Amino acid sequence: MKKVIYILSVAILVLSCKSENKTSDEAEELTVYTHRHYESDQDLFKQFEKETNIKLNIVNASADELIQKMSLEGEQSPADVLITVDAGRLYRAKSQNLLQPISSQLIDSIVPTHLKDEDSQWVGLTKRARVIAYSKEEVDPTKLSTYEELTSEQWQEDILVRSSSNIYNQSLLASMIANNDKAFAEKWAQGVVDNMARAPKGNDRDQVKAVANNEGQLAIVNTYYIGKLLNSEDENEVKAGESVTIFFPNQETTGTHINVSGIGVAKYSPNKENAIKFIEFLLKEEAQNIFAGSNYEYPVNPNVEPTGILKEWGDFKEDKLSLNELGKNNKEAVIIFDKVGWK
Amino acid sequence: MIIIALISIPILTIGFKLFGGPGESWSHILEYVLVDYLQNSLLLALFCTLMVVLFGVTTAWLVSRFEFPFRKQLEWLLILPLAVPAYIMAYAYAGIFGYSGLFSKVAEAIGMNNFSIDMMNIYGLSFVLSISLFPYVYVSCRTFFLAQATNLLEASRMLGISEFKSFFKLIFPLARPAVIAGLVLVMMEVLNDYGAASYYGVSTFTTGIFRSWFSLGEPETAIYLSAILLIIVFALILFEKWQRRHLKFSASKTSKQNYNSRLKPKFINQIGFSFICFIPVLLGFILPVLQLIIWTKQTFSKVWTLDFVVVTLESFGIAFITALVTVLVALLLLFFTKWNKIEWLKSSSKLGILGYAIPGIIIAIGVLIPSLYLDKWLIENNITSKLILNATLIALVYAYVVRFLAVAYQPLESSSLKIDRSLSDSSKVLGKGNFRTFFKIEFPLIRTGLLSAFILVFIDILKELPLTLIMKPYDVNTLAVKAFEYASDEMVSSAALPSLLIILTALVPAIFLNKLLLKNASDT
Repeated sequence: MKKVIYILSVAILVLSCKSENKTSDEAEELTVYTHRHYESDQDLFKQFEKETNIKLNIVNASADELIQKMSLEGEQSPADVLITVDAGRLYRAKSQNLLQPISSQLIDSIVPTHLKDEDSQWVGLTKRARVIAYSKEEVDPTKLSTYEELTSEQWQEDILVRSSSNIYNQSLLASMIANNDKAFAEKWAQGVVDNMARAPKGNDRDQVKAVANNEGQLAIVNTYYIGKLLNSEDENEVKAGESVTIFFPNQETTGTHINVSGIGVAKYSPNKENAIKFIEFLLKEEAQNIFAGSNYEYPVNPNVEPTGILKEWGDFKEDKLSLNELGKNNKEAVIIFDKVGWK
Repeated sequence: MIIIALISIPILTIGFKLFGGPGESWSHILEYVLVDYLQNSLLLALFCTLMVVLFGVTTAWLVSRFEFPFRKQLEWLLILPLAVPAYIMAYAYAGIFGYSGLFSKVAEAIGMNNFSIDMMNIYGLSFVLSISLFPYVYVSCRTFFLAQATNLLEASRMLGISEFKSFFKLIFPLARPAVIAGLVLVMMEVLNDYGAASYYGVSTFTTGIFRSWFSLGEPETAIYLSAILLIIVFALILFEKWQRRHLKFSASKTSKQNYNSRLKPKFINQIGFSFICFIPVLLGFILPVLQLIIWTKQTFSKVWTLDFVVVTLESFGIAFITALVTVLVALLLLFFTKWNKIEWLKSSSKLGILGYAIPGIIIAIGVLIPSLYLDKWLIENNITSKLILNATLIALVYAYVVRFLAVAYQPLESSSLKIDRSLSDSSKVLGKGNFRTFFKIEFPLIRTGLLSAFILVFIDILKELPLTLIMKPYDVNTLAVKAFEYASDEMVSSAALPSLLIILTALVPAIFLNKLLLKNASDT
């Protein structure tokens, strides 16, 4: 019993110290609502605090929850910036009137037009490409060409892909709707479902492991997961990563589908200037290199050359479709997924 | 009264939202996916009920009725699976049976190449949920068996009825409130599960709620779906109450325990019993923990920092405080309705315990709306200058209480049902007031139930995720949040260390619970 009281009092002490810190601290602050929780980000945040003396309050949750929280908090919201892992969520935050235009020449000059909001309410921080990872042993890469071709008969029971609840799949289908039309997108989704090796389950890494395990030949995944597998501490993950090669689809047509992890300034941001400083910091070459180096995402800053594994994968033609379209067509995409039975 | 109001506010807030009507995709959901959600959720509930009762009741009966090797150790080992969050269990089992997992290595070693079991479907999900939740039934049944079954069994044995026959004829029907109490908790957890179901690709009601909210962007539709879920749960609870309306569950007045009364079966049977009780421990604790240890070994140096000690202490502190508050509230609620025989109060107190069936994320919204409203009002009237409820411990604890009241309420209710009503009645006849009667008579009698309630809530809070994510103060972190951050980055192996710490932190109270049950039993 005594021990319990001991532990408890220490715990309460820790908690109370924390809350005291909070009240006595009147220094400059910035509250970051973020869906990203990578170690690279934490290093970057620490570096920002050191460089600028601005204290960061980090709220980590899924973008949907953060958006809901911001809209409930309204004018009282402490949020300064919102970071998401896809463009669709930023589009939603914007359409719920939760963001404000970012005015910074530096930011404008760095980020290419198709990677930001048409009214500058949000900008991309890193790019993610959704590609086909094919089995080194079983697949002849000359047979691969486009996303559309995945529905052809030669890939029957070969395709591995995660659930349609996942935003990356929704964005991919949304891009199909935007580049073509609904009917085309529905036919494509139906074709993929017909060629699936198994019902969708697990995450992107699990799809690659399933290729390694010979459950299917082709996995639709984001590139950085392959990077993470290859650099995993788990030897089985490394083995799984080595069993596949990346293929960038649609090189002759629209280009490979990309999405961004992006950032917007909250409408009622109490520290707007700091928010802009923060975004500029994240877009500068140093930070962009860290994103690319430790998280294997593509930099949005065109002056930053991909290095390491990104360089090995080589250059590719990306779909220049404005990312706003992904947000606009997201809901339609989900409805199509439900219709064709893509779980 | 105030308590009921406070607890009901978030739930009513959600209720009012219903009048706004569902979002525009409602017809789409009805047409394409609702049947799927219903079917999967009901199947899941059915499989889990069967497995949980099988594991929970059998083991509780064996350990409280028979003597066999390692019984004492198994008694508390059987509680341990509760310390493993279902989503962690799901990851661990996917790892064990997945690509190059433990299972395929063992299979290879014994010459069964290419033999694999697919865990990631509805059966695997049922198994994972059952094996991590059966201790709810085990704990409540064991409390029951220890408290009152012995005398009855003695009597039936004297009448020459075999042990197994009296189990089915006598004990099982009598233990029903205990089984149901545990089962209700299990069902609510099962219906509420999001992490495991979405990872295993099974579309249930709860994954549907998340999908319509976040993928379709229609919170109204999500709330509609969760209202249907609520109605189902509420109907289940009412059905159960209605079923046992004629039955009275007062214990015999001399519920004296006689510890020498454990039967000693033949040695071979004893070994069998040890083995039977060991299986759930192996599947629900040893195997998944083994997998976590393997992962931790790979990632320890990267994940272990001083921060982790702080986070562990914080988790512990939050869980402790909240569990205390929750049990207190449950206790007040229980006795308040008992003293005041007003029907509508009784039924509205049932409203309070519904919180457990609502997905944590929706509770969070239900708490955020009124607390922000209050915050804004305070600011407008210049009483405070900034948000004092939102993103503070107060709001977090409040939300936890709403969410976990049922966990505390169920064991308290079932243990108070066992109090012979004549005891408290006679105390009142002798002129003692409600409070006095409570402290002198009822409190000591429900002490075990009280502590079980506390510990169950404590463990649940340690594991809680969605609500914590959105409600927690910026500078406070919990182990579950840490584990989730890693797992959602698809770094499951890094999530192993915080998961192990959750399990270790939950172990202490679990073992304490067991000691208490024993002590209490030998005291009376």
